[in-house]
Amino acid sequence: MFTRKENVHALDTAVVTSFLQKTLPFNELDQHTLENLARHATIDFFPKGAKIFIQDVTEVKHIYLIQKGGVKLYLQDESGQTTLKDYRGEGAVFGALAIIRNARSSLTVEAIEDTFCFLFTKKAFLELLNSHPGFSQYYLKTFSENYIKKSFSELRKEKLTPKTEGALYLFTVKVNDIIRKKPEIITPVETIKNAAKRMTDLGIGSLLIKNEYGKIGGIITDKDLRSKVVARGLPYHSPVEMIMTSPVETISANKVCFDALLTMMSKQIHHLAVEYEGRGIGVITSHDILVLQGESPVYLFKEIMNQHSIEQLYELSMRVPLVVRPLIEEGAKANNITRMITVLNDLILDRILTLMQEELGPPPVPFCWLVMGSEGRKEQTFRTDQDNALIYQDPRDEEEREAARVYFRMFGQEAINHLVKCGYPPCQGGNMASNPKWNQPLSVWKKYFEHWISVPEPEEVLNSTIFFDFRPAYGQMGLGYKLRDHLNSLVRGKDMFLRYLAQDCFRTKPPLSFFKNFIVDRDGEHKNRLDLKARGLVPFWDFARVMALRHGIDETNTLGRLELLKEGGHMPHDLYSKARESYEFQMQLRFLNQLKLMEAGETPHNYINPAELSDLEKQTLKGAFSVITNLQAFLKETFKLNLA
Amino acid sequence: MSYGVSFPSSLACSLWPMDLFRKKPEHPVLAGSRQYFADFNQDLPLEEYDFVVLDTELTGLNAKLDEIVSIGAVKIRGLRIDLEDNFYSDVCPCQEVPKFSTLIHRISPGRAKKSPPIAEILPSFLEYLGNSLIIGHNIGLDMAFLNRDLRNNLGGILYNPCLDTLRLARIYREEQWINYYERYNLAVSYNLKDLSEEYGLPVFPEHNALNDAMQAAYLFLFLVHKLRHGNIRTLKDLYMAGRSWRWMF
Repeated sequence: MFTRKENVHALDTAVVTSFLQKTLPFNELDQHTLENLARHATIDFFPKGAKIFIQDVTEVKHIYLIQKGGVKLYLQDESGQTTLKDYRGEGAVFGALAIIRNARSSLTVEAIEDTFCFLFTKKAFLELLNSHPGFSQYYLKTFSENYIKKSFSELRKEKLTPKTEGALYLFTVKVNDIIRKKPEIITPVETIKNAAKRMTDLGIGSLLIKNEYGKIGGIITDKDLRSKVVARGLPYHSPVEMIMTSPVETISANKVCFDALLTMMSKQIHHLAVEYEGRGIGVITSHDILVLQGESPVYLFKEIMNQHSIEQLYELSMRVPLVVRPLIEEGAKANNITRMITVLNDLILDRILTLMQEELGPPPVPFCWLVMGSEGRKEQTFRTDQDNALIYQDPRDEEEREAARVYFRMFGQEAINHLVKCGYPPCQGGNMASNPKWNQPLSVWKKYFEHWISVPEPEEVLNSTIFFDFRPAYGQMGLGYKLRDHLNSLVRGKDMFLRYLAQDCFRTKPPLSFFKNFIVDRDGEHKNRLDLKARGLVPFWDFARVMALRHGIDETNTLGRLELLKEGGHMPHDLYSKARESYEFQMQLRFLNQLKLMEAGETPHNYINPAELSDLEKQTLKGAFSVITNLQAFLKETFKLNLA
Repeated sequence: MSYGVSFPSSLACSLWPMDLFRKKPEHPVLAGSRQYFADFNQDLPLEEYDFVVLDTELTGLNAKLDEIVSIGAVKIRGLRIDLEDNFYSDVCPCQEVPKFSTLIHRISPGRAKKSPPIAEILPSFLEYLGNSLIIGHNIGLDMAFLNRDLRNNLGGILYNPCLDTLRLARIYREEQWINYYERYNLAVSYNLKDLSEEYGLPVFPEHNALNDAMQAAYLFLFLVHKLRHGNIRTLKDLYMAGRSWRWMF
């Protein structure tokens, strides 16, 4: 008798098994297990918009593996507010969490495309979890580390804790973030005297001592010098190993500060060596942690404000990222954060320039410090290059002219030096107040703009764009406003210039989409890194700038410009809201990326590796790119560029 | 079904004159399903019906001369494709498998010869099919071959209602045309693979009876959710959606 079963599997399950072999974590299972799993699978289809799971209602009986299409997962609270949690695309699974927890679905899952899923029964899935430790680990790991923690603690934070400052930081700030400098390490045979001198010179309270294997073997602190040396009358030329505390209590750099505080309290010590991958990377003290309690933006703001020494400002400016981080964790948007950074940076600038004037004496004529580029747009992230300029009131006579020239040259140079020491790298292109060209009286500045606008050579337009984002930041602001007024009157009716500027917005074409771990361009080219600034953000800046100039809008902030454009009826509402959302998202992404790099000790940059993006992020970025296309089309229309 | 070209087949092994004298008794499954479908409720939700999506590979398109070389089928239960319950068999035709058709379905004459003849396969296929509704892409052609062989070998034909994904696709396209201006596009294809690609379905290698049945099953799931803007609940709804198509048997 012909039996169909034996003929069958080799052919049919290949549909599923070949798919599973490409999909995490199934690809780690052996062929036999896969075939067995495939044989019990069913295939279901959900048209776009179908709700596959309903939060708190759906009894989950299968895990769903997406063969084709995509879904979104979201939460809905009692007030009906929905929070988008994730997008899942091909090869991704949903329903596993509910099965593992043996509970109803905690999320609503909705198909965002026509979606085909392989369904595996609860029983088959649980059996796999039990019989394949690697497989279950994948799920436990993804869920416990990435998912449950992320989504639920985020929710808890949003819902339960009011925005109290301080207390929460202990639980969110990692030990790594409060290390101020690299550890100072000496050898055990160093004399006590030398060690004490070094501590005094560096203004620090402890030194680490490495043993013969190069590992951290001990620590000496101020207290050791007092209690073990001075009090006992030990000779100062004794080696430090006689007084060091050994072994050193260490803490991993990834621990939160709360853990550090707990360790210190339980061991009754004040210093902990911080370890990262077996290396000592710093020392933290109980003081560092207590300071953290007060490490709110407001606190830092007050500290900067009351600062009377420029040198102290260097260190305070380094703390800007530190106060910003908890804000992100509390859900602040990039726009809020860049504004916060701008406020703090402006204040640091204010203090530096004020203190400098106390040193150098008052300027011969009033002046205004202009910031340009991202600073001008109030969109600074961390450690962005300086873009600034100095404008002063036109001198009355030759004598005053010379005095002003000398004073402001020196003033500009000095200021830039201080800013560099505060951690703002100098501009490669020399667009700074220390450059004599950008350190000029108002009349000269007016001529610059007249030149740029009246003879718009493409090259000229390109180089001058950052100047159109200038904003007065210190001094006699009126000088800056006068220049802005002058600029607006110049631009009015200068269609040629505006069209050049608009044309310039088409330099970059936004990428098209993502495919697996690549960024796909319109021409089909694949790349594994994305310059988020050049490809994603510059088009928004360019758009907002040219439109603001066209309509005489003084605002320099990109979102501010967009909002005024919308309110003035110069751009459609839906284009505005789409532009706003995608711009904010990209700013946020860039911001988080830079923060991550900084915390890893690297220089922040604008490149993103698509492989590191979640489906959710890819999806949103894809949407943002399409908005750029809309903006460009709008410019084309507005400036009649297609008729050129 | 996947033929574009018909070609003559010179050899036919069953002796037609003999059949005329020997009227076979109707196979019990065939008789049973005839009874069952004589009084058939079309008003149940689609989830409550079992469907068998089937595809055959043939030596050619001529229903008088050509023969089945393989049958593949998958089951849809609760509107989900059930991978556990499917059917596939090569069939040994009475004639040599022509080279031209081998090039399409990759069943060599040697492989075909090792397979059981249709008479041995049909009973197990009937058992598999039971009272399921039949789905296929251009199902009329497959049914013509199957019913011919059933009549010759088991003394009856299938009474199971048939649904044609090709016709469903045509209705779906007509629905779309109400909204889109591409109605003037005459270069539309109703080929199974072209449709699957157009709708963005997962695409399987063609010309294997089981793969094609699977492909048609995907297409059916897609269409049944998409037709009438997703408002098809019962078998009757599906029938009403396509006034232009009707029960074929």
